[in-house]
Amino acid sequence: MSASFEQRSEAVIQGIESIDPEFVLHLPSSTLKLVLGHFLDGPGARPDRRIFPIPREEEGISILSGLALAGRRAVMIFQDNGIGNMLTALLTFPQPYHVPIFGIVTRRGGLGEYNSMIHTISERSERLLNAADVRYFQVDGRTPVEDWAPTIQRGYAFAQTTHRPVFVLVNLMGG
Amino acid sequence: MLERPEALRLIDAAFADQPLVLTLGGTIREMLAVVGQKPNHLYCLDAMGQPLAIGLGLSLGVSQRVVVVEGDGSLLMGFSALTTVGHLKPRNLILLVLDNGVYLATGGQPTAARDTDLVGVARACGWAGARDVDSSSDGLREALEWAASTDGPLLMRVPVSTAQPTTDFFLEDPVVLGRAFTDWLVR
Repeated sequence: MSASFEQRSEAVIQGIESIDPEFVLHLPSSTLKLVLGHFLDGPGARPDRRIFPIPREEEGISILSGLALAGRRAVMIFQDNGIGNMLTALLTFPQPYHVPIFGIVTRRGGLGEYNSMIHTISERSERLLNAADVRYFQVDGRTPVEDWAPTIQRGYAFAQTTHRPVFVLVNLMGG
Repeated sequence: MLERPEALRLIDAAFADQPLVLTLGGTIREMLAVVGQKPNHLYCLDAMGQPLAIGLGLSLGVSQRVVVVEGDGSLLMGFSALTTVGHLKPRNLILLVLDNGVYLATGGQPTAARDTDLVGVARACGWAGARDVDSSSDGLREALEWAASTDGPLLMRVPVSTAQPTTDFFLEDPVVLGRAFTDWLVR
């Protein structure tokens, strides 16, 4: 039996917490409500951690880059319909400068989607990232939920090891 | 009217040992022509619209003052960062907007900045301080002294002329530039 939305959300929380980020940048997402709630109002809202909203994905890429240059641990959480927004920023600073930034990208537009439009951009996420030679890993309903948090933790480490932006795509809706 | 190379010389002199994020194009080439390559300068070779947000990330990650030298066109491209800065209020962030009113590197097409009150926008976004700077060496010198002793975030709009001295292309590997800056920053 596949995991529930709550179990997947908890796995993403555990994965991010395993990184122990000092900064959490977030964009709006209905599928992220449990994850964001953990950091905004729950146990993840710690005094030694800065959590803040950003209005656009490309701005987040730049802020993450500055934080990484300063040697700080940070993660950005956003939806896949913002991948297009971030690409120019990604390919003109952190990618060519070899800055190891990290992001969690929630999937939309698959099985269980309730929005009639969003698949138009979301279904192209992999192709967009592949065309830009951006490294990413994926977990979804076919991935045992116990593997989700380790994949996020290892994805962050992979960015540091390979000196480049890395993203983990997570499908909290399962499909 | 103040010319950009002179403005850059004064800015470097005022913040000679601070992290300084430089916007793209002629600004980088002119800073190199005026003061040479420096490890505390982060050269954003073609990252238009990004210097303020990069500087914001740096200011959140370090304790020393972070200075961002931006143009009006690039600032408009990354305008949303003004609101994030106002929200986070990093006391160590200083933004200098060298406003020539045009996209000089691409032929001098006009920007929309001439009709935008950048100082008013910064104040409305919650920045700690913002001011229009007199377009002269003395005016900029006085403003830089104010910035060095005032808690941020601070925005200064500095009108500069569209004069563009001939400079060489800067073709350094961005990986080398980023690594040199990081090594300096965490030394």
